[in-house]
Amino acid sequence: MKSNLKIIVFCLLIFTFFTGFVAHKFYVSTTKVEYVKERKSIQIISKIFVEDLEQLLQERYSSRVQLDPKKETDLDQSYLLNYISQKLKFKINEKEAQLIYIGKEYDIDILNIYFEIEDVDSLKSIRIENKILIDLFPEQQNIIHFSNEKNKRNLILDKNHPTGLLNFN
Amino acid sequence: MKLFKLLTLVVLFLATGLGHSQEKEEERVPGHYNNNPFKQLYEEFSTPNQYRSASGAPGPAYYQQQADYVMDIELDDKNKKLMGYETITYTNNSPDVLDYLWVQLDQNMRARDSKTPLIQSSGAAPADMAGNFVNQYMGEGFDGGFNIQEVKDANGSNLVYTINRTMMRIELPESMETGDQFKFSIRWWYNINDHVNGRGRSGYEEFEDGNRAYVIAQFFPRMAVYNDVEGWQNSQFWGRDEFALVFGDYEVNITVPSDHILDGTGELQNRKEVFSKEMIKRYAQAKKSYEEPVIIVSQEEAELASKGFSTDKKTWKFKAKNVRDYAFASSRRFIWDMMAVKLGDRDVMAVSMYPKEGNPLWEDWSTKVVASTLISYSRMTFDYPYPKAISVHAKNQGMEYPMICWNYGRPDEDGTYSDRTKYGMFGVVIHEIGHNYFPMIINSDERQWTWMDEGINTFVQYIAEQDFGEKYPEAIAPNKKYPSRRGPAKNIVGYMSGDQSRIAPIMTKGLNTYNFGANGYSKPGTGLNILRETIMGRELFDYSFKTYANRWIFKHPSPEDFFRTMEDASAMDLDWFWRGWFYTTNVVDIGVQDVKKYYVTSKMNQQVKQMMNARGMKESDLPPLVYLVEENSEDFDESMRNSTLDDVTTLQEYIMDNLSPEERMNLKKPTFFYEVTFEKLGGLPMPIIAEYTYSDGSSERITYPVQIWKTSDKSVGKVIASDKEITKIVIDPDEETADIDTSNNTWPKRKKLGQFDSFKKNSIKN
Repeated sequence: MKSNLKIIVFCLLIFTFFTGFVAHKFYVSTTKVEYVKERKSIQIISKIFVEDLEQLLQERYSSRVQLDPKKETDLDQSYLLNYISQKLKFKINEKEAQLIYIGKEYDIDILNIYFEIEDVDSLKSIRIENKILIDLFPEQQNIIHFSNEKNKRNLILDKNHPTGLLNFN
Repeated sequence: MKLFKLLTLVVLFLATGLGHSQEKEEERVPGHYNNNPFKQLYEEFSTPNQYRSASGAPGPAYYQQQADYVMDIELDDKNKKLMGYETITYTNNSPDVLDYLWVQLDQNMRARDSKTPLIQSSGAAPADMAGNFVNQYMGEGFDGGFNIQEVKDANGSNLVYTINRTMMRIELPESMETGDQFKFSIRWWYNINDHVNGRGRSGYEEFEDGNRAYVIAQFFPRMAVYNDVEGWQNSQFWGRDEFALVFGDYEVNITVPSDHILDGTGELQNRKEVFSKEMIKRYAQAKKSYEEPVIIVSQEEAELASKGFSTDKKTWKFKAKNVRDYAFASSRRFIWDMMAVKLGDRDVMAVSMYPKEGNPLWEDWSTKVVASTLISYSRMTFDYPYPKAISVHAKNQGMEYPMICWNYGRPDEDGTYSDRTKYGMFGVVIHEIGHNYFPMIINSDERQWTWMDEGINTFVQYIAEQDFGEKYPEAIAPNKKYPSRRGPAKNIVGYMSGDQSRIAPIMTKGLNTYNFGANGYSKPGTGLNILRETIMGRELFDYSFKTYANRWIFKHPSPEDFFRTMEDASAMDLDWFWRGWFYTTNVVDIGVQDVKKYYVTSKMNQQVKQMMNARGMKESDLPPLVYLVEENSEDFDESMRNSTLDDVTTLQEYIMDNLSPEERMNLKKPTFFYEVTFEKLGGLPMPIIAEYTYSDGSSERITYPVQIWKTSDKSVGKVIASDKEITKIVIDPDEETADIDTSNNTWPKRKKLGQFDSFKKNSIKN
C-alpha cells in the first residue's frame, strides 16, 4: 500500500502529462462561489474529476472506494465528505465559516459537489483554502471563480499557494 | 444652399441614429495602428510563395522528403528488451543541398541523462516517506534510452554522428543534392519500460500471471521532417509534445515469442505462417462481416496461450505504403476481433486487440466504434486510405500511430463498468482512430502546433461521437444524444472565462501552454464547431473542410494553409475569427444593453428642433418628415400609445401620392418601434443571434452577421418595427457562441435559475 503510493506519487511528478489523449490532461478543479446578498447565502459548487478523486480516496482510505453512482457505498460517501471538509475551508470576514453540504451529482467524469454558507449579512472578505487533491497530485490547481452582483474574481490555488483572500472594501 | 443644408441634416440624422445625438467634446487623441478586430492577418501570416499558395493549397513547387524503411525487430520478452536493425533510404526532394540528416531518438527521453525531469518544477516537501525519498533523490531510476550500436552507410562504413539528447545528427559523406538518395543503417536496442507504472506511450503492462502486453511505439530512430517552413523540424522531445515525421514505405519483420498474437501498421505478408488454420478461416469470415465483429482469437484461446511461455520464436512480416511511422502490439494475452467496413468501393478492416481485462466492454464495442469512426471521418474528409485500423486496449493511456492506436477503458474486476469508463473508452477510441487522419495522413507539425492535430481531431471526434450515438442508441441509453465532453460551445466557457494570466493563445507551441487539454484540444475543437454550426453553416464549412483535407492528404500543412483554405473555398472572410479565437485569448460576451420603445408622429420632436435651431432653419425648410418619439422623452404623450401609422399625416400623404392602390394594400403596418442596443463586452466579435418573443407568444430569431461590429466595437443599435409588442429578447438562446457571461443576454433582465438553485430545489423535492 505504502510502496504503491510512493511509486505513483513519484511517477506522477514526472510523467503526469504523458499521453496522447486523456480525459483532462491536466490536474484542475474548479469551484464556483457566488454570494447572493438578498438571501444572505454563499453558494458553492466544486467540480472535480472523478478519476482523480477516486484514486485519492483509494490511496488515503481504502482501495475499495468506488466513486461510481451505481456502486458507491455510504462509507465511500463519508470518506469523500470527510476528505473535502478537511481540504476545503472558508473564512468569511476572517471568521471560520460552516459549509453546509447540500448534495452531489455525477456528470459522467466530473463530480459536482454543492455547499452553502448561510447567514452572511455582509461580505467584506472571503478567504478560501482549497487543498483538494494536492496531497496526491503536486501539480493540482484548484481554481476559484467568485462572483457577486458587482464583481467577478478568480483565484488559482495550488501546492505553494493553497489559500487565497478576496477583499471587497 | 438649402438643399445642401437639408442633406447635411439628413446625413446627421442617419449618422447619429435615434438616441445618440450628444455631441462629444473633442480631445486630442494620439494616433494608433489598426487595432480593429476585423483587420486582415497579413502581418501574422507568412507570405504565400511557390511552395504554399495564397489559396491555402500546396504551391507549384511544393515538395516533401521521403524516407523508406526496412527493419528487423526482435522483442526479448524475458529480458524486456527491444532490438532492431533498420535501413533507411532517404530521398532529398527539396531544392536545398543537405550536409547532414537529423534523426529522432524519442526513447532517450527515458535515458538516465534525460533532461525531462529537470524541467518539471517541484517543491520541497517538509516531510517525506523514506522510500519516497530514496526513489526521488537516491535511486538510479530506470535505465532507458537508445543504445546505438552502429550507424553505417550502404558500403558498411561507419558514419559520423552526434547525439544531442533526443536528436541525432548524421554527417553525410557527400552533400545531398536535389533528387539524391542516401541509404544508411542503424543497429540499436533499448530496455522496454513499464508504461503503466512509469507512465508512457510505449512499453508493457505486466499482469499477475507474469505475462506482459506490449504496446510498442516511438521505438526506432526515425527521420525528422525537413521542409520549406521550418527546415529541419528538430525541436527536442520533452515527453508531452508529439512529433511530425516523413512519409515513406515500410517493410518490417518483427520476431516475438511464437505464442504471441501481434498486429501492427501495414499489411501482413505471411498470414499462413503466423495464423492457425482456424484463424485463417475466421479471418475470411471477418472480411465479409459488415455488421458484427468476428472473433479471430477468443478469450478462451488467449487464456490458454497465456500459460505457455514458449521459448520458440515467430516472425510477423508487414508492408506498409505511404505511412509516417510504425507501431505494433504483441502479447499472449490478446483477444482479437475484426469486421469489414465498406468505404466507397473499398473494404477496410476494423480491428481490436485486448486482454481479457477489457471484457466485456471491449468485445461488445471496440470494433464497432472503430468502424463507425472510419465512416464518420471518411464523410468529413476522404475515404480512409489504409487497409485497416486497429484499437488496442492499453491501461491508462490513449495514443495514436498509423493504422494502430492504444486506448484505455478498463472495467472493474467483476466485469461491470461505470458510465465514466464506458464513455471514456468510446471517446478515446474515436479520438485515436480519428488521428489516422490528423496527423497521420494530414501530417501537420504536432510538436509546434498541437491544435492542428489535436484540435481539428477533437472537432471531428465530436461529430463522430454524435454519429455513433445515433447509430447505436443502445450504447448510450438512457441518453438520447451522445454526451460529448468537448465540442459544444458552452463547455468551453469555464476555460475561456478563467484567469487571463494562465491562458495562452491557441497559436502557441504546445509545450508552452498552461492548460494543455483545454488549449490544444477543447478550444480549437469547439471553435471549429462554432464555425460550422453558427458562423459558416454546415454546407459551406463541410465543403471547405473537405477541401483542406483533400489538398493536404499525405502532405505537411501549416496553420495558414488551413486558415486560407477555409476562406478560399467558402468566400467567407474569417480573419476576424482566426485572429480572435486562435491568435488571442479574447472572449465572447454580448448582451442587451438597452431597449427603447418609440412612437411615430408627424409632429416634430425636440431633438430635431434643436438641430434645426442650431442651423437657423425652420420647419418649412424641410420636406415632410416622419418623427420617432421615445416613450420616456418629453415629446411623448399618452395619446401616442393608441395612434397608428394611419394617424401620421406626413406618412399618409406620401403613401397616397406615391403608391398605387395595389402597392398600398401590400404595405406592412408596424405599430411598435424599438431601438435595441447590443453591447459587446468581450474582445471577440460574434454574430448576434437574437430571439424576439412577442405578446402573442410567437417568436422569431434574427442573426445579425458578425460584420455588424466592424466599425463599432462596443455597442450597436438595431431598430425593430413590428405589429406586435416585444415581451422578451434573448441573445444566443441555444448557447452556441461560448458567451462567457449570459446574465446580460436577456431583456427584460431575468435571472435564470442557476445551477445551484435548481440542484437545491430538486434535492429538497426528492
